[in-house]
Amino acid sequence: MTIAAAVKRIIEPALWFAGLLLLWEVLVWAFEIRTFILPAPSQFLVRIYDDFDRLLLQGAITTKLIIYGFVAGALPGVVLGYLIARFPLCERLIYPLVVFVQGLPKITLAPLLLVWFGFSDFPKILLTSLITFFPVLVDSVAGFKSVDYRHYYLSRSTGASWWQTFRLFELPSAAPNIFSGLKITIVIAVTVVIVVEWLNSNNGLGYVVLRAMDANDTPLIFAALVVASTIGVLLNFGVIMMERFLLPWRRRESS
Amino acid sequence: MPGVEHHAVSRRLRAGMSTSTGASIHGRGITKVFGNGPEAHHALGPIDLNVASGEFVSLIGPSGCGKSTTMLLVAGLEPATEGTIEIDGQPLTSAISEVGIVFQDHLLLEFRTAIRNVMLQQEIRGLDKRALREQADRLFAKLGLTGAEHRYPWQLSGGMRQRVSIARALVHEPSMLLMDEPFGALDAITRTQIRHDLEMLWLETKKTVLFITHSIEEAVGLSDRVLVMSGSPGTIIDEIQIDLPRPRPAHLGEYPDFARYAQRIYATFESLGIYKFK
Repeated sequence: MTIAAAVKRIIEPALWFAGLLLLWEVLVWAFEIRTFILPAPSQFLVRIYDDFDRLLLQGAITTKLIIYGFVAGALPGVVLGYLIARFPLCERLIYPLVVFVQGLPKITLAPLLLVWFGFSDFPKILLTSLITFFPVLVDSVAGFKSVDYRHYYLSRSTGASWWQTFRLFELPSAAPNIFSGLKITIVIAVTVVIVVEWLNSNNGLGYVVLRAMDANDTPLIFAALVVASTIGVLLNFGVIMMERFLLPWRRRESS
Repeated sequence: MPGVEHHAVSRRLRAGMSTSTGASIHGRGITKVFGNGPEAHHALGPIDLNVASGEFVSLIGPSGCGKSTTMLLVAGLEPATEGTIEIDGQPLTSAISEVGIVFQDHLLLEFRTAIRNVMLQQEIRGLDKRALREQADRLFAKLGLTGAEHRYPWQLSGGMRQRVSIARALVHEPSMLLMDEPFGALDAITRTQIRHDLEMLWLETKKTVLFITHSIEEAVGLSDRVLVMSGSPGTIIDEIQIDLPRPRPAHLGEYPDFARYAQRIYATFESLGIYKFK
């Protein structure tokens, strides 16, 4: 990719986005929409600046929960995905349960988890991990099942150990599937944490939104939303960068 | 320093590397039945299979005659239902590692560059990295792969992928090379060249080769001995000693004997009803 093309790739969407914000700004002023209903971009962008320290602190708290929940869900998802894909017994025992739980709208477990575990970070992380777990599990199963069985012939004829077979053949073969699961769930994890923070919190971005609502402080709601979506974009970008670093052979798809 | 020498040899043995040139294969009454009960499929045998140390033997036959199964059994990757197989006089009980295998599909790992696909053997077997890299470079030079070391499989042509696959099967100097229709997916021109390159490598190292093919030209062009199979269940119905000078030319028609050998295989296939010419 040339520099000109790279600049074009960044500048085009940026201009498009700036244009939309400008239109929003003009419409809000033109129709004299009250700030309480819909603030103009200038209002909530200024608000981000004014309340930067607070939003940064609360955003960091939320980000921490997202990452903990994401990791706590994704790791078991990959491990169990491997077991289900490789061992028919595990598939028979675990998969029906997985299908059942997957159909459950897990966000509705939030009140229950609060009853059980109270006002701490634990139920938030637990729920985030539960919701991260299933998509990653399903993609991991698909990934580990996609290993060409003749690669097992190859690994056995080289005398590879179980760990070598996993590390050198199975995990890299499954990695593209696993990463497509991770990229989807990291964004879902942001939503989950904020929703749970509504229910039970005295900090985090969800709590900021809730307090702003009580105070009819709509610009602050928007400010928190901008911060939350920035976190989502950055985390997603982080997963994509990790994929590019760990799976260099995949770069052909973007080139 | 004999001590050092001895140490090197024992390390090679431990790592599953051969110090001799070629293993011998002795199979008696080899039979393979897949599944059991009413769904059982009798795929192979019983066949006797004897390959001498350093011999190049081809198995030729129609699709589904059990040639590939035979290869998997010899590698110890599938257990024989009946019969015994001995490699260098040792009964085969599990997968042998003193072997290089080339499949019809190159089966390169798409996430590794050409050289790292070959060096997989070094990584898994824990062999000396520098020695193996030198050996890989030599093989790359002989196979016309120099310069392609750091390309991924998707950046290589079909012929080059199969060459990398051959390098991977040979880099650890196994005593036996098993090839399952290795050139089946290549175009005729590439096939002729790669056949010659394989023959030259074999002449140099004299590994024992079991070569599975459905091409009469490849079988006669490469082998010391051709075993003709029929299916199914697969059995060996003809055995032909190929006495042609080596290295053999691109155009085998130069030898009147080639036509004779080929004719004999065609006739066998016709008598089996594999070919129906009027």
